[in-house]
Amino acid sequence: MSEQRENDELTGILARATPLLHDEPVPRAAWREAVLQAAGRAEVPVAWSVRPIVAIAACAACLILGAAITYGVLHDRMERSARDVVASAGGSVRPGHLPVRFAVEAPNAVHVSIVGDFNGWNPAGLPMHLLSDGRTWEVEVGLAPGRYAYAFVVDGRLARDSAAAESGTDDFGVPNSVVLVGGS
Amino acid sequence: MLVRAVLAGDPASFALLVDRHAPACLRFASRMLGNREDAEDVTQEAFVRAHRALARYDEQMRFRTWVMSILANRCRTALLHRHRRTSRVVVDGAAVDEAVGPENGDAELRDAIERALAKLDPVQREAFVLKHVEMLNYDEMSAITGAGVSALKMRVRRACDRLQGLLREDGYE
Repeated sequence: MSEQRENDELTGILARATPLLHDEPVPRAAWREAVLQAAGRAEVPVAWSVRPIVAIAACAACLILGAAITYGVLHDRMERSARDVVASAGGSVRPGHLPVRFAVEAPNAVHVSIVGDFNGWNPAGLPMHLLSDGRTWEVEVGLAPGRYAYAFVVDGRLARDSAAAESGTDDFGVPNSVVLVGGS
Repeated sequence: MLVRAVLAGDPASFALLVDRHAPACLRFASRMLGNREDAEDVTQEAFVRAHRALARYDEQMRFRTWVMSILANRCRTALLHRHRRTSRVVVDGAAVDEAVGPENGDAELRDAIERALAKLDPVQREAFVLKHVEMLNYDEMSAITGAGVSALKMRVRRACDRLQGLLREDGYE
């Protein structure tokens, strides 16, 4: 620690600003519960007793089997499902889908969500979350390759994404933007 | 010791480990990833991985250092996967101007340092946060990141220089 004091003493504005980063977030009760449940579902921790070669061989066999099933039996089904549009907020992205991050700056908004072809234009479907800068709302959506019209809903008002490469046709009087995903 | 108790089959001890170390882990991940939601995801993943690998935990190391090394890896992976499309728009310019109005000085400065931190190269950000937010020594940082002590010192110094510069650009001297 003396080394830290000698060589790493913060000075000037950094000495004032850095302690502001020291606040520890209070874990949410639901998050804590999820961690304990996930850990409980995971394999019970045991000391290594399985011979590594056996374990590696078993893993390799599983991988080969998995790959064979994926390409042989489920190939057609996966291709079809990749065309299905499934949106997921903040979660993992399905095979064949690409993660697309949408962001909008709305510093005074109370609730922001995104609507579009990918969620049936349901305003409750994909809420966006506020980043720590206090002004940017963000969500990640897993999308299959394709073309999607979308819009932000900022406190109940629809807003077009002016940063989008393309604007929608407003067929129904709704301001919207268009995103092209992947090889389409 | 709590780890031994977990290995002996006491799940309540794992809950105690989570309670003891989650706040610091969430803070580190939030500083690395810039938002609470991603931080919760990677921290949860780190605890689950730690639980799974508990039998391999070396008691010579502090538990916090060990779990932080798993977490730092998860953060790096999360950042690597952030090569994604991002679209950005300012919805209401007037509202933005209003929001920049007079604020509590500390809150403003915290926003400024958070913005500056987000602009750092991830390896510099990692070194800075471990050193000056998590207050770890270089040996612990080396155990967490796998980088050598001299490399870490260089990263911390460069991070400090860059942060000073960014804050100066933001009007802070």
